[in-house]
Amino acid sequence: MLSWSSQEANGEVDLAELGRGGPGTALPLARELHAFASAVPAADGGELARARHALVAAAERLGQDGVAVMVDAAAVAANFEMMTRLADGTGARFPDSVADERAPLAAALGMADVTSRR
Amino acid sequence: MSASVDVRPDLEAAQRAVWAAIGAPGSQWSGAQRVELAATALRALEADEPLAPWVAPSTVPGMLPSGAVAPAGAHDVVYRVARHGGTLTADWHRRMAEAIGELAYVEAVALTCEVAAIWSFRRAAGLDPWELPLPQPGAPTGETAAQVVQPELNWVPVAAPADERAAVVQAFTALPAENARVWSLADAQYIPDLEMVDPRWTRGTLSRPQMELVAARVAQLRECFY
Repeated sequence: MLSWSSQEANGEVDLAELGRGGPGTALPLARELHAFASAVPAADGGELARARHALVAAAERLGQDGVAVMVDAAAVAANFEMMTRLADGTGARFPDSVADERAPLAAALGMADVTSRR
Repeated sequence: MSASVDVRPDLEAAQRAVWAAIGAPGSQWSGAQRVELAATALRALEADEPLAPWVAPSTVPGMLPSGAVAPAGAHDVVYRVARHGGTLTADWHRRMAEAIGELAYVEAVALTCEVAAIWSFRRAAGLDPWELPLPQPGAPTGETAAQVVQPELNWVPVAAPADERAAVVQAFTALPAENARVWSLADAQYIPDLEMVDPRWTRGTLSRPQMELVAARVAQLRECFY
């Protein structure tokens, strides 16, 4: 979805950098959004607070409502805390043809051999 | 931080409705059982030193509430899905579904997903966590889809016809009320269903690619292949 939506918006995604744990894109706020999203699943509340404040401040520097941006980023992160458990808890998998198409993407993201590949 | 954070009204309303429903009878579990299982999910999410994936909380003295009203196996499902979702296997699912019942397993997973979403949002946004609702009286409703079948694309049974929609979309359809709650959250937290096909859709804050960057990173860290 990131590749598709970025292409449609005339942006680029470096999947290899994403796989190495970087933002992989030059989108506005990419670094701050990536750091925030990285902090949500982590146990370190201090890291999450720093990432939250950095995202709010960076969005405000761009003239946006920083808190509203952060709230929507938190909501998307929360949604994928839900969807990942939905997929894993119900054994969701792609049809074989789709899984084959996605194999290079999974490899680039370092996801080729995860337990949840079914 | 929490005093200065305004949450979109539609998001607040969707999450409050789902949170309140934790206390109401579900299809397979009573309100008291659902609240108890949600508390186990919260313990798993909040634990500084969680149990290892292969350690079931029911085997650890003191981990389950005394006089628990939900069976131990249901607590084991909820704890592992909440804390170690990326480690689940088909064999594990089969054993747990045999122990507690297939549709009871589905509801336990859906409940865990709802708790994880709302707890994660409050934590991420720097907001205080919500207290669990009080259990409402009443037996489980027993409501299920008219025809429940085994799909190819999920471990769990789904509403017929199977495999005509994406696996994540059909995953909870055996239990219509739970399915509706999960997707009401998705609409408010991520993108309304009807807008999914629009790569330029936005609420005026994040662009679609920015939303997908957040989504991709969380899924990557959760080691979720799907």
